[in-house]
Amino acid sequence: MPLIEAHGLTKQFRQAVKEPGLVGSLKHFFTRQYKDKLAVDHIDLSVEAGESVAYLGPNGAGKSTTIKMLTGILVPTSGSLIVDGLVPHEKRQQNARKMGVVFGQRTQLWWDIPVIESFNLARDMYEIPAARYKANLAEFTELLGLAEFMNIPAGKVSLGQRMRADLCMALLHEPKLLYLDEPTIGLDIAVKDSIRKFIHRLVEERGTTVMLTTHDLGDIEDICNRIVIIDSGKIIHDGGLADLKDNYARDRVIHFQLARPPASMEPICAGLPACDLHADGLSLSVRFDRFEFAAGEIAAAVMPHVEVIDFRIDEPEVEDLIRRVYLGQLSLAAPEPTADTPESAVAAEA
Amino acid sequence: MRGLNKYFSIAKASLEVIFVYRAGFAFNMIGTVFYVVAMFYLWQTIFLGKPGALGGFTWPEMKAYLIVAFILNSTMTWFDEWTMGSDIREGRVATDLARPIDFQLKRFAEAIGPVPFELVSALGIGAVVAVVFGGIALPADPVHLALFIVSAALATLLKFAIIYCVSMVAFWTTGMEGVQNARMAVQNIFSGALIPLVFFPEWLRGFASVLPFQGMISTPALTYLGAMDGPTTAFMIGTQAVWVVGLMLFGRLLWRSAIKAVTINGG
Repeated sequence: MPLIEAHGLTKQFRQAVKEPGLVGSLKHFFTRQYKDKLAVDHIDLSVEAGESVAYLGPNGAGKSTTIKMLTGILVPTSGSLIVDGLVPHEKRQQNARKMGVVFGQRTQLWWDIPVIESFNLARDMYEIPAARYKANLAEFTELLGLAEFMNIPAGKVSLGQRMRADLCMALLHEPKLLYLDEPTIGLDIAVKDSIRKFIHRLVEERGTTVMLTTHDLGDIEDICNRIVIIDSGKIIHDGGLADLKDNYARDRVIHFQLARPPASMEPICAGLPACDLHADGLSLSVRFDRFEFAAGEIAAAVMPHVEVIDFRIDEPEVEDLIRRVYLGQLSLAAPEPTADTPESAVAAEA
Repeated sequence: MRGLNKYFSIAKASLEVIFVYRAGFAFNMIGTVFYVVAMFYLWQTIFLGKPGALGGFTWPEMKAYLIVAFILNSTMTWFDEWTMGSDIREGRVATDLARPIDFQLKRFAEAIGPVPFELVSALGIGAVVAVVFGGIALPADPVHLALFIVSAALATLLKFAIIYCVSMVAFWTTGMEGVQNARMAVQNIFSGALIPLVFFPEWLRGFASVLPFQGMISTPALTYLGAMDGPTTAFMIGTQAVWVVGLMLFGRLLWRSAIKAVTINGG
């Protein structure tokens, strides 16, 4: 049985509508008007134990709302949701015992007292047996390098230190499920790296199920084996990272560096009918579907007509792909049309 | 009892925070000392004009009343609508909801944590002020003292319950400072903190007697002085207890429906 099972999960918010200015405020005071907003729109999601899922989407897509329903903070408007056998909002405290949450933008540590005291508080709140607490604390302290600021109040440590301490706090009770809401936001590369390694290890060694929202694609590549993309409250992609690349990032680009400008493009174009060619002075680039052609075939078609000094191949970038989804240039719901938009061609050449 | 262990830890952590802000705490205390001294001089002047008892109080009894009021006002000062309101408005309560804890009990633990320290400080200062002003009336009977301790404890619970309920206004408004000031103004008048309720005109006294605020100062202070007869004392302390239980439950209900509105309809 899946650890998380959602069917038709929907969350509708009621937003107050107010016209601008004093008149608007007055009007609002007497005749309140509301507009319904579908934050999460009938999503189906099933997560097995041990999976690490990247939950992506542009700002306002419904990521946080979903996470809040999973954690039992928000009550769904409709649909069903079962997390490890419980309906989260009905059994909020029981659900909370089995999960850990880290909000990148908000600390769970007690601001004014030393970090270690927050950990001790977690021990009592989650009723962690003394021996397990000690062992976990020792392990996380070492892996996350917490020793140097253990006795400093959370309000006085750096953001990177705080995030590491927050991770530790969320994991001391060995939750089955870990929700990470933008865990690497604002962190430097070294700290990002150590946090990713730590979470990766957690997934590998403890079998913790991780659900992660992020805008940082490095997080995904290092941690997740599955990507779910939500946009305007609807899930528009659910699959592995490789699937995403295979299905939507089919284009590769070969850039040739030429000895002299080609005399004519005609014969080259004729040899590569399904490809997209760009010539600019001494450079020639060919965009092709990597399932239709091998890079060698492209080279073989180009070489007889020009003198090639050098070449390189651009692999499809997930980052570019997701960016295009966010910008609405690429619809994942339907298969991507073969014709390229000018923007993506520019991006690929940049 | 094991389940309560976590709340004990929260209370302990909350007490620690007060030591972090010891300067703020000290200034707060100094402020209330000035206030209590001013009250002493004010009432001294009133009593000088009218020798003997006034409204049933002798001057030493009035001094005792003021000291008791001072001590009760000095506890649970770190829990207020403003703090809880900003936690609600800025969504920090989400963090609490993601934990296996009861929201009201957690808040109570946070509020009660610093109380022992506040109490010791207030007792010390109160003793000094009492000595400087020539001593205060002591409870005539140890039974009064025992009942006073019960009543004072109820007064502290009542303070929590009232502030907790009032804080829920944060779900509907952003002006928590005004709400807090309004609550304090009403409380200062109807608790008997400024003027003992006996000095009120009949109709106002009647109004005060149906409000919960008298249980915050008046009831414990009068119990300390033994100013009420046995049955009245029992009735007044019983009233305090009823208000505590009622407002605690009402607070839970408010929280439940408010959080439901937020989590169902959105903020």
